[in-house]
Amino acid sequence: MANEKWGMVIDLDKCTGCQACVVACQSENNVPINDEPLYNQRRASAWIHIERYWEGEFPDVKARFIPVLCQHCDDAPCEPVCPVFATYHNSSGLNVQVYNRCIGTRFCANNCPYQVRFFNFWEPSWPETLKNQLNPDVTVRSRGIMEKCTFCIQRIHKAGRNAKSEGREIRDGNDLDIRALDPACVNSCPTNTLMFYDMNDPESEIAKLAHDELEHDGRGYHLLEDYGTHPSITYLKKVDKDAELHHDSH
Amino acid sequence: MRLPSVQCVTIRNENIMDLTRRQFLQMVGGSATGAVLFAACGVPEESRYINSPHQMPEDLVTGLDNWYATLCRQCTTSEGLVVRVVEGRAKKVEGNVDYPINLGKHSAKCEASLQSLYNPDRIDRPLLRVGDRGKGEFNEIGWSDALARITNQLQILQTQNKQNGFVMITDPLSAHLGDVTQRFVSGFGGRHLQYETIERTNISRAMKEVYSQEIMPDFDISNSAYILSFGADWLNTWTSPTRYMRAYGEFRQGKDRERGTLVHVDPRFSATAANADQWVPINPGWEGILALGIANVILSDGLVSDSIRSSLSPDDIAIIDQYTPEKISLDVGVNADKIRLIAHEFSSHAPALAIGGGSAAAHTNGLFNMKAVYWLNYLVGSVGVEGGVIFNPEPPVPSVGKYSSSFEDFRNLSQEMSRGEISALMIRGADPWYGLPEDSGFRRATFEVPFIFAVSNFLDDTTAMADLILPENDAFEDWGSDIPDPAPGYQLIGFQQPVVRPFYENLGDELGTKNFADIMIGLAPQLGLDLALPGTTFTEILKAGAEDLWRENRGSITAADFDSFWYGVLQRGGWWDKDSKYQGTIPSVSNVPNPKSPKFDHSPSQFPYHLIPFTSTGIGDGEGAFLPWLQATPDPITTATWQTWLEINVYDAEKLEISEGDVISVTSASGKSIDVLAFPHPGVPPGVLSVPIGQGHISGGRYSEDRGSNIMSILTPNVDEESGALAWAATKVRIEKTGEWMRVPKLENTFSEFPRDENQHIIKVTPDESSSDH
Amino acid sequence: MLPGDFDIQILKPTRKRVVLGLVALASTLGFLVVLGFVLTFILSSWWARPIVFGYDEGPDQPIAFPHTTHVQDLGMECTFCHRNVEKGASASVPAVSLCMTCHKVVGDDSEEVAKLREYYDLGKSINWVRIHRVPDHVQFVHDAHIKHFSGEGKTVVETMTNPDSQIFLEDAKKMKRDSSINPGDIKDIESSEVCAVCHGDVASMSKVKQVRPLKMGDCVNCHRDNNAPAECAVCHY
Repeated sequence: MANEKWGMVIDLDKCTGCQACVVACQSENNVPINDEPLYNQRRASAWIHIERYWEGEFPDVKARFIPVLCQHCDDAPCEPVCPVFATYHNSSGLNVQVYNRCIGTRFCANNCPYQVRFFNFWEPSWPETLKNQLNPDVTVRSRGIMEKCTFCIQRIHKAGRNAKSEGREIRDGNDLDIRALDPACVNSCPTNTLMFYDMNDPESEIAKLAHDELEHDGRGYHLLEDYGTHPSITYLKKVDKDAELHHDSH
Repeated sequence: MRLPSVQCVTIRNENIMDLTRRQFLQMVGGSATGAVLFAACGVPEESRYINSPHQMPEDLVTGLDNWYATLCRQCTTSEGLVVRVVEGRAKKVEGNVDYPINLGKHSAKCEASLQSLYNPDRIDRPLLRVGDRGKGEFNEIGWSDALARITNQLQILQTQNKQNGFVMITDPLSAHLGDVTQRFVSGFGGRHLQYETIERTNISRAMKEVYSQEIMPDFDISNSAYILSFGADWLNTWTSPTRYMRAYGEFRQGKDRERGTLVHVDPRFSATAANADQWVPINPGWEGILALGIANVILSDGLVSDSIRSSLSPDDIAIIDQYTPEKISLDVGVNADKIRLIAHEFSSHAPALAIGGGSAAAHTNGLFNMKAVYWLNYLVGSVGVEGGVIFNPEPPVPSVGKYSSSFEDFRNLSQEMSRGEISALMIRGADPWYGLPEDSGFRRATFEVPFIFAVSNFLDDTTAMADLILPENDAFEDWGSDIPDPAPGYQLIGFQQPVVRPFYENLGDELGTKNFADIMIGLAPQLGLDLALPGTTFTEILKAGAEDLWRENRGSITAADFDSFWYGVLQRGGWWDKDSKYQGTIPSVSNVPNPKSPKFDHSPSQFPYHLIPFTSTGIGDGEGAFLPWLQATPDPITTATWQTWLEINVYDAEKLEISEGDVISVTSASGKSIDVLAFPHPGVPPGVLSVPIGQGHISGGRYSEDRGSNIMSILTPNVDEESGALAWAATKVRIEKTGEWMRVPKLENTFSEFPRDENQHIIKVTPDESSSDH
Repeated sequence: MLPGDFDIQILKPTRKRVVLGLVALASTLGFLVVLGFVLTFILSSWWARPIVFGYDEGPDQPIAFPHTTHVQDLGMECTFCHRNVEKGASASVPAVSLCMTCHKVVGDDSEEVAKLREYYDLGKSINWVRIHRVPDHVQFVHDAHIKHFSGEGKTVVETMTNPDSQIFLEDAKKMKRDSSINPGDIKDIESSEVCAVCHGDVASMSKVKQVRPLKMGDCVNCHRDNNAPAECAVCHY
């Protein structure tokens, strides 16, 4: 727990909408299964989900995929409104949800402009045998508790402990150490759309990428930038080839 | 002072609160407060004890995880995985960074395969049918009893000399399991058919006839500059999506290279179409003709290199000459100018790659479509070069081909079954009852087979028809090997090892699950078969196979002794040799395929819509319908889940006054119909309907039963006459509103859409520039 | 003052007033009932949780395992049996097979050893009654704590206010059974010597019991005293 500040870069030019990150997150974090009634009630819990935007009309129609997850904003609108301080910003730049403190007012979800907070309206339940798959490092939430993406804080803690016991910094080490640290979604993403990094790491290649692309003519941007939330996730815009192909009618 | 006397307050006879005792108790006892209070009292029983196990394996440390390398067997791609195991329970799947197919990445299906291991509806003991076939009533029996019954039945076949009446239907098998199966079946004298819902018959034949390749080549997507794909949803579901997606990441934003361009031709707006720089909607079935039209432009506009032009025969050129863009434009449904543009771009960005598959291969001219598309690679000189089509070498161990038998083979089988010529059917890893259209006759014919036994974990549609069900070990409990097809351009064999003990082993020897190969190996001596295998259990056979590899002393693992080699293989998840590439000749060209137009032989007025079924991102071809995570995975385009929906053009829907959620009856020329939920969206071309495959199981457990409809069942049995493959995209249908409505379970609208920021335009890049310098 | 002077208007019990009165009564009662529930809940949570299984006297175990014999008399280290404490989150209880490494030959005259041998021969595992338990929403990691206190050159202090890593004098004395340790000494502390900080003098317990409340306040105070991070996410995630 030195002075890391965790963030992500998401390159939208590569996202194919394959949903691998969605299932990986649910597997790692004991997210309740979204059965059909939950979808119909519009209460599906998807800590990371792929937003699909339509543009244009047939035949010049396009669909864009944007993975949306908790942005871990530096000025998070969800933090000041919790009456019991169940959500706060920790020293590593993460927006932390403390499950046992939450009393379920849902003010935080109300305030979140990205709508990435999920409330357990129903008691999450799994058939007995499926409980064998639950991750022991992550608290299983009960009804009445808010939950959201944690950047897999359990992995960050574990990596931190391992690093400390070996007397080194968290990011040092080989590829496998980084994979043990990276959130489940980042590990699974086949196209390498999701990239996880330490903003305070001077040698991080991803930090350089984010920095370069946030320059004036770069592809980098933040979601809903004007709200002033200062998210920790930098998105890189999808590239649209404005080729002549585009102009023809069908 | 006198205090006011208290006057009795009388309540009039009408009771103000007519509260019965029951209501009162309900209020108090059932109130949320009461429930919370009483639930909070107490610690769950398990937490009151700490368990000292009888023995502690050395590698099992309480609370610490171990990672074991194995293979995913959810689909034929077999990605390399490492599985996190805590105290003997598998918790999380991650990609194996070393395994060449996926290099550390993995798909949603692999992740969800954990739910197959711990599925509540998993069959955990042999079952014997009681009651009529198809009623789904079974009693448990022991393994000895079950195997004895099978032996008995097969011995009867032997005494009657009817061994050729024994047919085994499995999923496409390779490597050692394929070998054991082949020996068993041919040793017995029966036949072995391999089944996949979406067969690869046309593609494998196209590879043979265009490239003279028996196995699927690799596509070097990460080094390609321009990809023109026809029909194949290679970014989501086709063939080896994780590998292709990993390469796609480099294709788009790889270091030190220009951003690649993707143009996708498809009658349906698939995820690949969504990711393409340009989606070209096409009239279904005309992909091959379009490819010829592109070839025509390349030849006539002099965009082909001299050496390639000179290797074309005059006949080839004559064929191509006929297919000018203007001539084909109306049939194909693509503007002639656009055809010219694509042709120019395709031939001017080297290395360019043409990929075909999916619905383009599923027409009556599907084989021609595939041949024409893959032939284009010759024209742009990208066969056998970096960024193009890379041929694969021979597999490192002798391997049965992983291709499925054709639909025609299954239709013939159904006819044999109806005639009573098939005495015994054995089924494993295949669900032909689900995937074959009803008109194939397979379902009806099943009732004529006297003995059916299935090796299966779930009571899927085919297994429910069996007389005897033998449960198999789950992939995470089992040994195995796999030769990926396509291989990554060099020799590779993956090894699968158990990451946990069999979940049902505590049920004892007579119940619980077994390994499929071990079942066959156990039956063989009873039937007098000598399989001539290098071992008595499948594990021994695998090890013997590994020993052969060890002796070759090459590749990713070399060791002084076999044990070290074996452990090395298990730790890495497989063996590969990056230096053992394709050594054969790379042809410079082959003959232009004989053009064929697609046939839709049903009256267009009666059946006006093209039906394009598609493989779901989550539940695939239906094998994932038992896994709740996959059922809950939103489709990338519609974000719909858990049901079967009908993608329809928004104007077609408006004309018919169909809105989202209307229950629509889809009828094909076979006379069959199913009900689906309408889902109009902007990406559907007019006149085309798309329905996901995968739901509509008759049985199979709580997650798959009574849900959605099975689109494969209503398909008309059109085939490609040359190859016998099912033309599953050639069915035409009509639709009717049933008047009912059901909400479509979807992720969209769970959260309101973020407001678009007018100032945040997506970067537009003109054809001359690229964004790589940004 | 004459009787009747106080002209109190006795309200006529009209229906409206009766209803209002009853509503008032009902809501007051209702409020008191709810308040009662809430207070019961809160107070019972505070006093009864974490459920302390053995505050006064340790509970009976399936086999009466005496730490006194093994630790005091035989001098075994904690980590000989509880091997996981330096490696992972939980300090595990040893497998029956570990006990049997000695008790295959030792302890023929003891009834408890006979019970142990029976467990082993029948292939059964032992369900010990749990003494120390933190709730499910707490992720307590043993190895981080052990590593913090053990190691070379630790200062032995009387109380825990020194910002350097330190250890309770009394506990160090107990674990080492060494009366020559004094506050201010620099010692190499072994992992086994740290256990007593939270678990007390287990060596002298014939029946293990819980000696510290192990409530959150306990944890947070110790964290603060020892300069360890005390933010929520350290334990609650």
